[in-house]
Amino acid sequence: MSNGKKQARATEQAAARTTKPAVLLVGADKGGVGKTTITRTILDYLAAKNVLVRAFDTEHPRGTLRRFHPNVTEVVDIMSAPDQMRIIDTLATSEVKLTVIDVRAGLLAGTLNALTDIGFFEAVDAGEFNFGLFHVLGPSIASLAEIADVFPYTRGRNYFLVKNFINETSYFDWHPEIYENYFKKLKDQIEMMSIPKLNELAYEQVELAGVPFSSFIKNKNGQGQPANNSLVLRGYVRTWLNQISEEYDRAGALDWATAH
Amino acid sequence: MKGRNLAVIAAALRPGSGTTLLARLFADYAILSREHPLIFDTDSLDRDLSRYFPHSARLVDLDRVQGQMSLFDTLASAAPGTRVVDVTYRRLKKFFDLMHDIDYLPEARLRQVEPIILYIVTRDFESYEQGRNLRDRFDCPFVVVENDLIGKPMQSLHHSSGFAALSRHPLRMQLASLDPPLADVIADPRVSLSEFMRQDPDTPVLAHLTREHRSAIRAWIIKMFKEIHRITREVDAPARVPADGEPDQ
Repeated sequence: MSNGKKQARATEQAAARTTKPAVLLVGADKGGVGKTTITRTILDYLAAKNVLVRAFDTEHPRGTLRRFHPNVTEVVDIMSAPDQMRIIDTLATSEVKLTVIDVRAGLLAGTLNALTDIGFFEAVDAGEFNFGLFHVLGPSIASLAEIADVFPYTRGRNYFLVKNFINETSYFDWHPEIYENYFKKLKDQIEMMSIPKLNELAYEQVELAGVPFSSFIKNKNGQGQPANNSLVLRGYVRTWLNQISEEYDRAGALDWATAH
Repeated sequence: MKGRNLAVIAAALRPGSGTTLLARLFADYAILSREHPLIFDTDSLDRDLSRYFPHSARLVDLDRVQGQMSLFDTLASAAPGTRVVDVTYRRLKKFFDLMHDIDYLPEARLRQVEPIILYIVTRDFESYEQGRNLRDRFDCPFVVVENDLIGKPMQSLHHSSGFAALSRHPLRMQLASLDPPLADVIADPRVSLSEFMRQDPDTPVLAHLTREHRSAIRAWIIKMFKEIHRITREVDAPARVPADGEPDQ
């Protein structure tokens, strides 16, 4: 190895040591809100910023996230102790400092409880790890009740409410009293993000292709070879992903994850 | 174009400017050059271009994603031959916004397709402003087309920046006028310009016309085809577009 390369490698390793390990949970207590789609956009966003990440797909045993990001994703059973050890016990030692966990629908509260039981949040409070939560909301009033349940785990830090407009054009905004009642109290501690809807045909084609959004845009298949995706649909996906990246930038959604 | 396929985009801000005629001329020119041009009609309401090429024109609805795909995916494809698009004034903004948003130009060039925008100016301020915006927005050959039937803009327009920019634009084309009765004849969807040109003068397509009228139509078509030939050659050897405010060379 040349001296230049040795120097670069040493710099990388030093940076890795000084960056605090971070865990991002992406969860919802309701299915069908587009949680895994959000996680996929996060992985693309981080890749575009050259941030190394490892992901855990809790849709055990088959996995859904893993289908699109096989190189960085492992399928785990988040409620089993051995798999919890695989994730948490390797946080400090892994060279990859950012861990994203795509929590199975309906398991968000359970996962947070499990992490509490194993002392993870104590370690966060002690400054050993950074923790963030993307809480993907459904459009109904019931989602608002989830906020009250989930918020305490975040200690008011790095808690992002995600309104994913997959098939709804309005959320609970139209209930101004309810909106005010929930968010007026918490608005200084919660960052709200809105994810626009992707054209359905474009979304469907990415699903069929089974590749990351970024690969679809570049017209590549799962092996990195040229694909035959529609120029128009790639354009729609590109515009959509750019809008999401701008939203993540605006909200500082992942700034905390690379903090020291 | 040397080894490249042209994607001819005929557009104007106002209805009745001559975009369909312009698209039709390019399509018939390609047919007479023994090509099988890909012809697209974006006016799902009036379907004017489709009437002249009933068996080959593809009607696309730009309000639907499937229509957008049918148009742009083909415009950027490696299929051989000239592409001709008649952009209806109703969908002018939508067409060019989409062309911009999907990054059509680099994609087309990857597959040896060279887009060329032919923009017909009319006599109003907005037309010239829109034309200048289009020219500046897309890094591809841009042709200012003046339709003799529309006439010259008023003197008051000459002070607008859009007029100043487009009047100095080097790549230009003239849509010559034809006597109104003869214009009505060729406007008939049953009349194919390429078929007309292929016909032996002694066995005319339009038998009811006088020899003089047939000659006048032929002369007009030849004039238009010469313009097209000149434009395609100039696009091959691009002229430099002077920046706004810069004196002509």
